[in-house]
Amino acid sequence: MPRNDPTDTGGLFIGRRPGTAPLRYKEDPARGGEGRRRTDATLAAAVLVLEALVCLTLWGPQPVAWLWVGSQVDYHADSITLALAVTFLGMVATLMITLGIATRLDRVWRILRRAAGHEQREGVLPRIFAVTAIVALVLFSLWFVLIEGPAPSLAPR
Amino acid sequence: MRRFLGYYRQFEELSPQEVSRALRARRDEEKAQALAETPALNLASPAWHEPPHAEIVNAATFALRRAVNTYPDAGAEALAAALADRHGVERAQVVPGHGAGELLRATLQALLAGSGSGGDVAIAWPGWGPLPRLVHEAGGRPVPVPLGRDGAADVDALAAAAGPATRAVALCSPNDPTGGTIGADALRRLAGALPPSAWILLDAALADFEEPGTDLAGLTRELERLLVFRSFSKAHAMAGFRAGYAIGPGGAGELLARLAPTLGISAPAQAGMTWAAANGERYLPRRREHAATERDHLAAVLTGTDFAFPRGTGPLLWLSSAALSGKELAAGLATKRIFVAPGAAWGDDHHVRITLRGPAATDRLAAALKDLRPSS
Repeated sequence: MPRNDPTDTGGLFIGRRPGTAPLRYKEDPARGGEGRRRTDATLAAAVLVLEALVCLTLWGPQPVAWLWVGSQVDYHADSITLALAVTFLGMVATLMITLGIATRLDRVWRILRRAAGHEQREGVLPRIFAVTAIVALVLFSLWFVLIEGPAPSLAPR
Repeated sequence: MRRFLGYYRQFEELSPQEVSRALRARRDEEKAQALAETPALNLASPAWHEPPHAEIVNAATFALRRAVNTYPDAGAEALAAALADRHGVERAQVVPGHGAGELLRATLQALLAGSGSGGDVAIAWPGWGPLPRLVHEAGGRPVPVPLGRDGAADVDALAAAAGPATRAVALCSPNDPTGGTIGADALRRLAGALPPSAWILLDAALADFEEPGTDLAGLTRELERLLVFRSFSKAHAMAGFRAGYAIGPGGAGELLARLAPTLGISAPAQAGMTWAAANGERYLPRRREHAATERDHLAAVLTGTDFAFPRGTGPLLWLSSAALSGKELAAGLATKRIFVAPGAAWGDDHHVRITLRGPAATDRLAAALKDLRPSS
C-alpha cells in the first residue's frame, strides 16, 4: 500500500505528506540482473556496517585520542589552557571530518540500496548517529559505574 | 571504471531544485498552451455549473466519516421530515429517491407495467429527454403533445389528447428545455379534464428557479392524482449525489411506497439533501437571480438578430435561428469550442438546448452566435 494512501489521512488531505514523494531520477535506471542486485544488497550491508563503525568512533576512540593529545600538550607545554584548546578544537575538527565521511557513505548506501531494487528515499545516518550515541552512553555508563568506579584508579584511596 | 560508476550514478535522485525546475518548465509550457488555445465550454449538460454549498459537502463528508459500515436509514426519516416541512405536506406524502428521473421511471413502471396492457402516456413535448424511452421501457406508448406558444405545457391540448387508454400525463414545469412554466390554476384545470384513471406526473426538477410562492407541490393536498417530482441536481448543484424526491397525495400511500428505493439512499446523499432541504433558501435566491440575469442578458444581446428563445424560467434555453437549423447551430458553435445539445435529441431540427452558466460564458456564447450568423 502506498505511504500516501488516503485512508492513512482520512482522505481529506489533498497535498502529499512530507517524505512520501516518489523518487525522481534523471532517466529510468537500467537495472542489473538478479545476481548484481544481490551483490549490491551485500555491498549496501557492508557500507552500513562501516558507517556505523565510523559513527561509533565519535563516542569513544576520538575523544580518548584527543584527551591523550591534550595530555601530551599539557606535559610538553605545561599549559592546561593550551591543552584544553587543542583537545576541544581537535574534537570539533575530527567530528566535522567524520560526519563528512559518514554522509558520503550514507549516499553510497542509498545508491546501493536502490541498485539492489529498493525504493530508498532517505538515508539512515540520523538513526545510526542516535543509536551509536545510545550504545556509547550505555557502554560508558557500565564502564564508569560498574567496572572502573567513580574514583580514579591511580589516586590514593 | 567509468561505465561501472555510470551504472550507479543513474540511481542518484534529482535534487528538490532540479525537480522544481522541471515542474516549473512543464507548468510554463501548459500555461502557454492554455493561453494559446480556447478552452471548451460545455453548455450541453443541464447540471449547475458551480459546486454545491459548502455546508452540503460538509454534511455529506460528516456522514461519510461516521458509520458508513452500517446501512443508512432506509426510510430517510429525517430527510423526508425536512422535505415535508419545506413543502407544507405530510411526511407520508414524500418519497426521497435517487433523483427525479429515477423516481419517474419507478412511477411509470408502477403505473404501466402493472396494468398488463400498458397504456398511453401523454407527454408535453419537447420535455425531459429520456421520458419517452422510460415510457417504452415500462410497456407504455408515449403520445407527444406540442407545447403552447409560450414554451409551457398546453394543458388543454394535453387534456384533449388523453383518452380512455391514458394512464398518465407527463409535463415539465419549468419545462426542460424551454423554461416555460404553468400555474396552479392550469394544473387544476388539467386535473379536472382528465379521465379519472389518469395521473398527472409533474416533473418540477427546475422548480427551485421559480420565485417563492409558486410551488405546485402543495397541490398534492388538493389533487388526488398528482405526483410532483423534484430534484437536487439543478439549483442545488448536487447532480453528483443523484438525489431527488417525489410528492404525492396522501391517499396514494401504496403507489408512493412502490417508488421508494428498495434499500434506501446512501447516508452522504441523505445528509446533503437534509441540509439542503432545511437551508436551501440561503443560496437559492442568488441562483434564481443569476439564471434570470443571464437569461435577460442574452435576450438583450440577441435582440434584433434572427436568434430567438422563449421567455421562461431557469438556466435552460431553447434557442432557434431563422437562418440555421439546429444541427448547423450546434456544429457552428462546436467549431468555436462551445458545445450545446442539438434539438435532434428531442426530434426537433430547428432548435438547440443551451444551459446558461456565468456572465463570461454568456458573453462568449453571444459573441459566437453573432459571428456564426453572417458566416453561415
